[in-house]
Amino acid sequence: MTRLAWWLIRAQFMTRRTATALSMLAIALGVALGYAIHLINTAALADFSQAMKSVQGEPDAVLAAKDSAGRVPLALINEIARDPAVAIVAPVIETRVRVDHAAIHSGAPVKLIGLDIFSAAAVMPKLLPRQDSGGAGMFEDGVHASPALLARLQLKVGAGVTLTRGAARWRTRIVGDLPAARPDDLLLVADIAWVQARFGPPDAVSEGRLRLMPGTRLASWLETWTARLPAGLTLRAAADDTQRVSNISRAYRVNLNVLALVALLTGAFLVFATQLTAVAQRSTQFALLGVLGLSPRMRLLQVLFEGLAIGVPGAALGLALGYGLALAFTRVMGGDLGGGFFSGSTPVIAARLLPSLSFFALGCAASLAGALYPAWLNRVQPLAQALKTGFAQRPPAVHGLYARPRRSVLIASALLPLAALGLTRLPALDGLPLAGYGAIALVLVLGIAVAPLLTQIVFGAVARRALSAPQRVAVQNIVQAPLMAQVAASGLIVSFALTVSMVTMVSSFRLAVDQWLDAVLPAPLYVRSKGMPLPQELLAALERGAAPFARIERSAHGALSLDPQRPAVVLLVREMRRADAAARLPFTGPVVAVATDRVPVWISEPMQELYRLAPGQTLRLPLLGREVDTVIGGVWRDYSRQFGAVVIASDDYIALGGQFEVSDLALWPRRGEEAAAKAWLAAHAAGYGLDIAESSEIRALSLSIFDKSFAVTYALEAAAMLIGLFGLAVTLAASVWLRARELATLSALGFDRAMLTRAVMFEGALIAGIGLGLGLACGIAIGAILTHVVNPQAFHWRMELTVPWLQVLLGAALTLAAGIAASRFAARLATRLPAAQVLASAQ
Amino acid sequence: MLTVTDLSKRHPNAVRAVFDELAFAVAAGEIVALVGESGVGKSTLLNCIAGLEPADRGAILIGREARDIVRLDEAARAALRAASIGFVFQAFHVLPTLTVAQNIAVPLLLSGLAPGEHQARIEALLARVGLAGFAQRWPPSLSGGELQRVAIARALVHRPALILADEPTGNLDPRTADEVLALLLERVREEHASALIVTHSQHVAQRCDRILTLTPDGLQ
Amino acid sequence: MRRRSFLLTPLLLPALAAAGHAVRYAAASRSTRLAFPRDHGAHPEFRTEWWYVTGALELPERDMGFQLTFFRSRPGRAETLRSPIAASQILFAHAAVTRPGAGLLHAERAARANLGAGFSATDCDVHIGAWQMQRGGAGPDQSLRLAVHDAAFAFELLLKPTQALLLQGDGGWSQKGPQPALASHYVSWPQLQVSGSVTLDGRRQAATGRAWFDHEWSSEVLGPGSVGWDWIGINLVDGGALMAFRIRDGAGASVYAHAALRAADGRLTQFGADEVGFTPLRHWTSPRNGASYPVQMEIRCGPHRIRTAPVHDDQEISTHRPLPISYWEGLVIIEGTLGGRGYLEMTGYANSMNL
Repeated sequence: MTRLAWWLIRAQFMTRRTATALSMLAIALGVALGYAIHLINTAALADFSQAMKSVQGEPDAVLAAKDSAGRVPLALINEIARDPAVAIVAPVIETRVRVDHAAIHSGAPVKLIGLDIFSAAAVMPKLLPRQDSGGAGMFEDGVHASPALLARLQLKVGAGVTLTRGAARWRTRIVGDLPAARPDDLLLVADIAWVQARFGPPDAVSEGRLRLMPGTRLASWLETWTARLPAGLTLRAAADDTQRVSNISRAYRVNLNVLALVALLTGAFLVFATQLTAVAQRSTQFALLGVLGLSPRMRLLQVLFEGLAIGVPGAALGLALGYGLALAFTRVMGGDLGGGFFSGSTPVIAARLLPSLSFFALGCAASLAGALYPAWLNRVQPLAQALKTGFAQRPPAVHGLYARPRRSVLIASALLPLAALGLTRLPALDGLPLAGYGAIALVLVLGIAVAPLLTQIVFGAVARRALSAPQRVAVQNIVQAPLMAQVAASGLIVSFALTVSMVTMVSSFRLAVDQWLDAVLPAPLYVRSKGMPLPQELLAALERGAAPFARIERSAHGALSLDPQRPAVVLLVREMRRADAAARLPFTGPVVAVATDRVPVWISEPMQELYRLAPGQTLRLPLLGREVDTVIGGVWRDYSRQFGAVVIASDDYIALGGQFEVSDLALWPRRGEEAAAKAWLAAHAAGYGLDIAESSEIRALSLSIFDKSFAVTYALEAAAMLIGLFGLAVTLAASVWLRARELATLSALGFDRAMLTRAVMFEGALIAGIGLGLGLACGIAIGAILTHVVNPQAFHWRMELTVPWLQVLLGAALTLAAGIAASRFAARLATRLPAAQVLASAQ
Repeated sequence: MLTVTDLSKRHPNAVRAVFDELAFAVAAGEIVALVGESGVGKSTLLNCIAGLEPADRGAILIGREARDIVRLDEAARAALRAASIGFVFQAFHVLPTLTVAQNIAVPLLLSGLAPGEHQARIEALLARVGLAGFAQRWPPSLSGGELQRVAIARALVHRPALILADEPTGNLDPRTADEVLALLLERVREEHASALIVTHSQHVAQRCDRILTLTPDGLQ
Repeated sequence: MRRRSFLLTPLLLPALAAAGHAVRYAAASRSTRLAFPRDHGAHPEFRTEWWYVTGALELPERDMGFQLTFFRSRPGRAETLRSPIAASQILFAHAAVTRPGAGLLHAERAARANLGAGFSATDCDVHIGAWQMQRGGAGPDQSLRLAVHDAAFAFELLLKPTQALLLQGDGGWSQKGPQPALASHYVSWPQLQVSGSVTLDGRRQAATGRAWFDHEWSSEVLGPGSVGWDWIGINLVDGGALMAFRIRDGAGASVYAHAALRAADGRLTQFGADEVGFTPLRHWTSPRNGASYPVQMEIRCGPHRIRTAPVHDDQEISTHRPLPISYWEGLVIIEGTLGGRGYLEMTGYANSMNL
């Protein structure tokens, strides 16, 4: 029996090479995309958490300030150390410094970690200096550099270096290296006391990393201590950090995976179209086998086997492709999928058995799902009739479903949009816009469900009008044989809807980002130093009158941890007056006037969404080691900091006791001195590793990053359209083939080949028209769901819906033309059969 | 080998029955011709005997074990066909995507026999139907007469108790028809099978052992 | 005496090996008059100091040994650095429990003062995290509290004195070598009554027994040519107390030796180098490093002859961070002309103790 199945599968593949290969390829594409996304992201996450672990070690819990400018008092470290449940407290001071050695400058700031060798040995073994690095050891004046840093600075152990942060300076020596540091870690490690004496903080450290005694219940221990902590401090389980890292890219990843799923679905659709036509074409053969004694179960299974025979090699190819894709991607672009979360790393792609098997199974499942309906149709074919007259498009069990729109279809068509609308009103589930995705699926189902109804209404009406003979033949065909027409149309509906929605979403987003960049980049020139204050020399020089600038606006960054489960919120300290807020930030709504004795802050849109805040509300912020009550003055649009940002005026920040460590500058050159201003900056900022950029450069860079991050979606759109078109061609060819006898009769009655071809092309155009029309409607609906539901829920930002009509209509016209071309090909195939032979063989 | 008793059949919503209380038998090794005018129900009767259309009443006992195909479910009917019936059709129905040898092997596979062990029988049968050397040929390259010879070999390969033939020479020119008919009768007799041959042709009918004529009033 | 200063070396070797060049340490002086409780506290101007409690328990198990030692080291590093957490004073702690027949459990901790650890300079009060040794109360009500928590074992013990302090050597000034410059300040407190609890295998049990407290501080290291030492402190069954030690050279010969016996009635007898002798009777070979320790010895102190019998042969302690250092330190039963239980320490058998 399996031998017969195998013969049939082989025969099927031999006779339908292109369709089979394309179905396989579509399945492979879906699997490859999903698998590649999975591989890249897993690798990037593993890389990120390993990098984190190599620097943070593997503590059980971390005691830190909620404010990045905050600190953990020594007294608290010493108190918590005396808890019998605590095995080790490893205090750490982390800061960023500039490294200078004679004429060599580090450029970008380097992380300097001050640690205590006694506690670090157990908690952060990767940061330990080489044991035999002379007798000088850890306690004296000196720093240990990671091999990567030594290589980058081209320095050797023993070199004298100057470390600078703001006004603080440490002239010291590199006394050893860090043999266990990762190959790309740029790090300096020194004794914690030396770092504290040179760069602070006095009587405090940045963090305490804790190891608890075995058997301690972490959750209840954390709870007990958290209740006793002073304001502004937080104690978190270190295991949460990995989870939080994973959460950072979660929404973005889910989005990509949904796209991969779409690719897989189109693959399933292609298998469906291929297998349906295969079943139709071979209905006589299957009927013969049935008469000869092939059991009904085997007639069902055979088609499923054939689906699987497409799915298995397709999925296997997909795994290989996905692996290659992931490998190539990480080599060229690193571990970042375009979301910007893991940039700068080159993770190692490692295929694990279980996920690989899951993706393989997914590909097989998609092809099986596609073969399911054709298999059932094959199972229920009436043998004697099929043997005589061929494929029955309306098997007895579904007879009447397409004959007349049933009331249930009508009710469903009315209920589906309501259900979809209802889903768009639901909030995000577990931080993911699952209801939004559900609504998108419903819209697609609705589009497909409405297709036969629309076909009959529209073409029923067309058929009543005076038509030329070929047109009448075409219209009659569609009205009377809707199954094939529907298959062809639904492929186009889905693929065109997805394309339109993506184009709509991306262009809405791009326009919004474009406008937003205008608002957030008012100055012509920007200077930025990453993660450390700007050099004092530069700031002092800017104060002097000789600097060719009309206006300078300073700002600083920090990070506030408002919720241990979420990534920190960015704190922006900006030099601006309260009254200027409306002119300085792109507010989404009204700006609230704040009483002079209160501290105003302005929060970003993602922060508003994530923490459910509103203008005018009092917001308690963990600033400078205490809880400060501020008032939300307004909400501003922000497309760059997905986890929220809050702006505070530098005067208010200083009044609260904060240190305004300027890291960013917005500069307005004096009129006519633009070139001089750039030259002045280049001269004064040389060697500090600062980013100096004109607003137009930042703008171009931002937009190019934006375009890059949507490159994957463009590729998918193209694939979806191709698959849709191919589905149209396959199903049209099949339906023509099935009607070969009818066409032959027509030709015997005097239709010439040109007329027949025109009839088939007209039919193709009508089907494509229906598919594109419905696809366009669904696409705009889905685009609206993506912009108004999925984006705010997944990324917490909003934008206006803009339909790029020109692109969309152009795409529709191209698809229509391609559809007509495909039907011409199908028609030629059919009309090439000699009429006499067809008529004779089909008695 | 075939016993039909009290067989009645009426199409849904039809006023008249196609046939009513038919009864006849085909003995082992007997070749019976079924003739009658167009539309009288010859094909329906053949479909009922093959279990492709349900009968309303009566029994159809097939094969050495005399199983009643009317009482079997769909899967069992298929199994009974595979084991006990060989088919020859007017339109040949040779699968175009399988070789001649593979086509002949299909009934062996369907009745659960390994074709490898029957390679010799397939070769011998091919020789007996005058197609020696055709084993690896593809059906599209064969003439109508050759295709029907393949079909005859396929109908006999698994040694069925009953051969059902529906206008086996209807698509052939007279000379080829004669040759193919002679071959069919010769081979059926050689295999000691029973056969029921539906035909319009007096010529064909007269070469059988017995003639049954189906009329709207029943068998004569 | 610097018998335990080697304990610092495994952790501090890279840091401390070249230490001390520019630092002026205080020197032990014969003329110093000790005052308590002030001198129970730390003497951070000296190079090394330890507080050391050893004991033998009756409950939860007879002849169960325990010890807790806190070391303070001033490595001579970061002396001028102006930071409250400069590594100028470092604390180490070492705890162990011996179960006769079952073996030895031990644990250690290290931290710099002010960063998870601390000490008082006015009384005995020293801790690393939750490990602690603290004196409290006055006169007859005074006591020492010990607390140790580790994954494998824990104990919380209260030690009450039954006798006066024993100032070793000349009023607490104790000579350690042939040259008078090699000396320490050394205070012992024998025959302490122990009560409290011991936790083993997660089970907390009441504990009673007898303990011995030592507090010693100095700045000088071993003399040249010395490789290790044997030391013993014994709570005698009759209420007396005996302390004896010798410093060995590479050939195993004594470089210096000393002993002190305080009878139950308080009478103190000191024995000079020529009156003290250590003679091995039986050796035990460590399966870890092949070192051969004379676990049974005959010790001669003037007229007295005593023999040591360990409650468990394998009371060797090995640490590996970063250099392998092994020594033997454990509870022994004393027989001979005097009887009792004591703690025997033998170093320099597996590795030379050259600092």
